Amino acid sequence: MSGGAQALLSVRDLRVGFATEGGTVRAVDGVSFELAPGEVLAIVGESGSGKSVTAQTILGLTGSSNARIEGSVRLGETELLGAGEATLRGVRGDRVAMIFQDPMTSFNPVYRVGAQIVEAIRAHRGEVSKQEARQRAIELLDSVGIPDAGRRVDSYPHELSGGQRQRAMIAMALTLEPEVLIADEPTTALDVTVQAQILRLLGRLNRERGLATILITHDFGVVAEVADRVLVMHEGRIVERGSLDDVFYSPTDPYTRGLLDAIVRLDQAPPLRAARESENLLEVRDLVKHYPVRGGLLRRDSHSVRAVDGVGFDLRHGETLGLVGESGSGKSTLCRALLGLIEPTSGSVRFEGREIAGLSRRRMRPLRREMQMVFQDPYASLNPRRRAGQIVAEPLRLQGEARGGELRGRALELLGRVGLGPEHYDRFPHELSGGQRQRVGIARALALRPKLIVADEPVSALDVSIRAQILDLLAELQEDFGLTYLFVAHDIGVVRHVSDRIAVMHEGRIVEIGPADEVCERPRDAYTEELLAAVPVPDPRLARERHNVESE
Amino acid sequence: MGRFVVRRLAGMVAVLFAVSVLTFLIFNVIPSSDPAQRMAGKNATPRLVANITEEWGFDESLPQQYLTMMEKIFSGEVISYEGREDVDERILEGVGPTFSLCIGAAVLWMFFGILFGYLSATRAGGLLDRVLTIVAVAGISMPVFLIGEVLLVYLTYKTGILPSGGYVELAESPLEWGEHLVLPWVTLAIVYVGIYSRVLRSNMLDAMNEDYVRTARAKGLSERRVMSRHVMRNSLVPIVTLFGLDFGALLGGAIVVEAIFSLNGIGEYAYISLINTDLPPIMAITLFGAFFVVLFNALVDIAYAYLDPRVKLGESAR
Repeated sequence: MSGGAQALLSVRDLRVGFATEGGTVRAVDGVSFELAPGEVLAIVGESGSGKSVTAQTILGLTGSSNARIEGSVRLGETELLGAGEATLRGVRGDRVAMIFQDPMTSFNPVYRVGAQIVEAIRAHRGEVSKQEARQRAIELLDSVGIPDAGRRVDSYPHELSGGQRQRAMIAMALTLEPEVLIADEPTTALDVTVQAQILRLLGRLNRERGLATILITHDFGVVAEVADRVLVMHEGRIVERGSLDDVFYSPTDPYTRGLLDAIVRLDQAPPLRAARESENLLEVRDLVKHYPVRGGLLRRDSHSVRAVDGVGFDLRHGETLGLVGESGSGKSTLCRALLGLIEPTSGSVRFEGREIAGLSRRRMRPLRREMQMVFQDPYASLNPRRRAGQIVAEPLRLQGEARGGELRGRALELLGRVGLGPEHYDRFPHELSGGQRQRVGIARALALRPKLIVADEPVSALDVSIRAQILDLLAELQEDFGLTYLFVAHDIGVVRHVSDRIAVMHEGRIVEIGPADEVCERPRDAYTEELLAAVPVPDPRLARERHNVESE
Repeated sequence: MGRFVVRRLAGMVAVLFAVSVLTFLIFNVIPSSDPAQRMAGKNATPRLVANITEEWGFDESLPQQYLTMMEKIFSGEVISYEGREDVDERILEGVGPTFSLCIGAAVLWMFFGILFGYLSATRAGGLLDRVLTIVAVAGISMPVFLIGEVLLVYLTYKTGILPSGGYVELAESPLEWGEHLVLPWVTLAIVYVGIYSRVLRSNMLDAMNEDYVRTARAKGLSERRVMSRHVMRNSLVPIVTLFGLDFGALLGGAIVVEAIFSLNGIGEYAYISLINTDLPPIMAITLFGAFFVVLFNALVDIAYAYLDPRVKLGESAR
């Protein structure tokens, strides 16, 4: 914002420190910005950059008693930093509203959605009757595009879909017609098609109501879709600020440039990979997994959820097959069935020509070493009470491959292969960074020299800059060990980047499978098209072009 | 709901059957438990013993004896070995004092447990929290019989403020009923207040970090409303579980407290019967107690469905 309009919200030299045993940690270190009426300001940064703390400090929600906050946050004429509880309460929800990342956990699960909206209204407008407030809640739910709002108002949060929940959250934020909306990663927990809808909704609200918005995100794609102005945060400071185009096309700060370069883009084809002519490692035919839903007096299976509903594909030695699908598409169930972790209802899975579907646990066991898994959340999938070296060594120990000094040597070697040093051997998972943790997870999967690695969303929990490193590591290991990957992800951009072929899953079936470029450039299935169209492009000009095409 | 009730009733029958069989077996395998010998007295003739054995059916097979006893218990004809009194009638007499004790104590411990837990959690780390922590830990650590005896010494024997024990029917004199029960109530409640306040405190501290609590604050709700409506409600679920289990178990007899204050309730009867290895009342009281445990477990499940809409009756919570 270059002078002109009066700033709605002005943050001056904001500093937030947290007192810890090891001294003060500076989460926010001298941040200043202004928000003009009607603009969308994006604050971009990786985890730990201080972007969320900045957002929460504006409303005094930093919560922790050991936080030291300095600077100034002015909303119009009102100073919010150090303001009393009553002043803050008057501002929260009424003048500045906030929405959060995960709409599932951000609603109280035990109250109806409507009741939670009514509560927000009556907290500020005591004179509004419950009936009127409820009516208002229905109107709002309707205006954010929730079908059948009159009935949905009485739903509990878990009865809504992920997208509807976030819409309801936005409706709740809008109840009192605030001047400013702070959206903290509002689409990060959502599927990409739902994300596109929510971003459109936010854009519409911004245009129609002139709602000034602060959008906190790590995703440059999302930024390019909706922002007017961009701040890039790194280690508590603003390292880059400017208009959307300035930041994308002529960034001045090296950190920003690095971030932009690290983005894996769907619309940029990776270098073509040599076609792999080899034998099939895995052959899947008509695989079905139904989960019965219990019902009826005698607990008969009244109907079932068709998680995987007739899936067939081949996986060749040394290739990477990308498996894309949104939540609930059945991709995780498929992976578990392939690995023999659950028994399929019917169908066949052949590994190196040998039928493995329905094998007993005991007979499956020797095969387990041939197929390993890398998980999404490297923190949750590593035992917090074991050291990195022990975690990597465990499969070797369990299979009786090595012990004592040899075991340690093998573990160190594995850590080395994934780019970790001997100094990491004795660290606990919480002492490692996110990327390092995922490296430990990969080393563990490698320990038994498997032929097949099923990677279930291996980079979706990681920051953009780390993501590229892990993808490179996976590619390098594939070359060195002749690994075959089944790469599962919801982000088709990432999948295209690493895969020879792509399979698109929807409602338990593979709707399209083919060479990566073909699926991405010339999709044959309507759902694939929808999926591709929903991916935000981290390129403001392209995004604008797309919006223009859409609105015509 | 109908299906839930049917399933729970079937479960209850199974539990009661298992409990009664186990109790019966235990008392038939422990040594020196020939009831005919004991009923006949120290210097009984073998003939007398044989007569008693035949009359009471002690020579029949164990399954037959079990069936006979169960039949008598449920038809109200069961007679104790010791004193030959009507067991079911004696248990019914005990219901008054035992239920008066448990319900009164439960009201006390739920009120103070939740109050102290709430105060502790909302002022975590503060002076009040620390004082309440010490009080709670002291309450949990002190044995019930010690608390009971200490209260008796100071409030009854030394000062005479309260009666020393016994039970007066509520219908007879509400005032005396209360006077006689104050000490038992307090004694029984102290331990539970300690436990419940600690459990609630830690549940609330966990709940305070939930995203929906942040949402509630961001809406501009007052801190009191955030605590009472959003933090408390969700923290009460484990308390309800605990309460169901504890209360159900106590209705089968609060043995120690009843014995200290000579309340003549079910617990005291159980205690005396155990000393005498008197199988019929032990069986009957065990069944009576197990019935309430199972009943309150079912009630807890219903309460869950009410407290948390994600839980459906008859399905396990995910």
